[in-house]
Amino acid sequence: MKPALSVIFFTVASGAGLGLFAWLAAFDLFTLLRGTESAGMQPVSMARAALVAYVLVVAGLCASTLHLANKKNAWRSFTRFRSSWLSREAVFAVAFLVVALVYTALLVVDGRGALRWAAALVVLVLAVTVLVCTAMIYASLKPIRQWHTCWTPATYVVLGVWSGAVIARCLRFAAGTGIDGIPLALLTLGVAAAIVKLMYWRTIDGEAGSITMEQALGVSHGVGPPGSRPAPGGGATVMRARLLDTGHTHGTFLTDEFGFALARRRRGMLRAAFWIFAMAIPLAWLVLGPRDSAVAVVVAIACIGGLLAERWLFFAEARHTVRLFHGDART
Amino acid sequence: MKLGLVIDLDTCVGCHACATACKEWNGASAISGPLSDYEPYGAEPSGVWFNRVRHFEVGEYPASKTVNFPMSCLHCADAACVTVCPTGASYKREDGIVLVDQDKCMGCNLCAWACPYGARELDRASGTMKKCTLCVDRIHNDELPEAERQPACVLACPAHARFFGDFDDPGSAVSRMSADRGGFGLLEELGYQPVNRYLPPRDPPEVARKAIAPDRDSAGGAGALQRLIDAAKRFAVR
Repeated sequence: MKPALSVIFFTVASGAGLGLFAWLAAFDLFTLLRGTESAGMQPVSMARAALVAYVLVVAGLCASTLHLANKKNAWRSFTRFRSSWLSREAVFAVAFLVVALVYTALLVVDGRGALRWAAALVVLVLAVTVLVCTAMIYASLKPIRQWHTCWTPATYVVLGVWSGAVIARCLRFAAGTGIDGIPLALLTLGVAAAIVKLMYWRTIDGEAGSITMEQALGVSHGVGPPGSRPAPGGGATVMRARLLDTGHTHGTFLTDEFGFALARRRRGMLRAAFWIFAMAIPLAWLVLGPRDSAVAVVVAIACIGGLLAERWLFFAEARHTVRLFHGDART
Repeated sequence: MKLGLVIDLDTCVGCHACATACKEWNGASAISGPLSDYEPYGAEPSGVWFNRVRHFEVGEYPASKTVNFPMSCLHCADAACVTVCPTGASYKREDGIVLVDQDKCMGCNLCAWACPYGARELDRASGTMKKCTLCVDRIHNDELPEAERQPACVLACPAHARFFGDFDDPGSAVSRMSADRGGFGLLEELGYQPVNRYLPPRDPPEVARKAIAPDRDSAGGAGALQRLIDAAKRFAVR
């Protein structure tokens, strides 16, 4: 699939913003439950981090509209909630923006009691819901086996919250705002993110669910020379198919959209970039614990950079079944 | 109703007449047209087409076959493109035809991603998704003579490799043809229940097959060739 920069920026920026909100709300609920407020977790400080998160989410959502070819009908995307994950994402994102604003206001005025509890809880649930909806847009597409896996929503949720939590801690040290988080919880989250992404890549690197050109053309139905239809008792010879001509002079919408080819070497470099920048550097920073503000800024930039590489790969590694009709041997 | 096409891979000669007839009719159609072209006379001509013909070889030479493979929307019974559409622009009609309401589409491409066959193409000029309409403005058009109330691709095909009809009616010509010839739907394992049927190539007549792969029991390749020459002579004398 063609890696569209607007969508890559959208999923990374909004993902981090939603994750930051989820992390703040979860932390807030945790401290409210314990009935204590430890030092450095002042509501005003959290509110500033919430504003950063808000800007990230809104910037991402704005970027997402850039890939629409006919923006004037964008409002209609709220109308198919019952069937379309994109519609669900749009509806939940707007609901999130409203509740998140209320929650941020409550933090600013240092509101207490049931209202703040409820707002924090709803923000947490909605943030994760939006992340899941975004991921399900991709995971629900059966023609793209690299997306049609349970590891897709897992990746979006865990990497969104991970990047949000890293940014929260970076804000704490770089700007004196945001939250430390609980180092152990943050560490657990980072390890979980690494495991989920590892499982995702293990899954798509295998051939499970792969479809061949022969399947797409119906060779087993007899499309080919005599004998291409397998005998009833099995023992069929495997007939290979190959493309002679695509029938078009130059590229088409289909080759533009689905024809992107990723070099193996580039893939390896980008995967390494993810492991180093989005995983190893933030985890090392967490364990070694330098509280320098410059280090915090570098870590935040590294984490987002690593995630941009990861999201670019998410598109570049996905191979649509249309490619089988354009010469690919398998998806 | 389940309107759709039968495409006969045995008789298709890969001439692209169906594709050009489609482009001509639908380009002028009020439902889907115009179908934009980009750089039509330039070095890199491209544009929107609802029907594309690709060419494959199956098997290893000499036991191989060229297969011309026309593809357009298969009008799936369970159309994922309609399910994923966030605006309601994509819809499925009572007669089974899947259409895009050009006034509602926001051009997000999600339906094209959901379609395993590449049946949908975004028109850069209008910013909307376009696709085969099964010539809905021909097949239900009372102003056309009855014989012409068929999709443009079917009427244009010089090899009679395309047929149009209702697959809900087991007695219809398309249903019977599909049943007789082992018609199948593309990538049915994905579960979208495509309506269009493809007919696999028929086995060639016995005499031609023997010429290609002579059996050991007879006089071998030379014998088969001799039989062919004899047959040709008989034909010439007549």
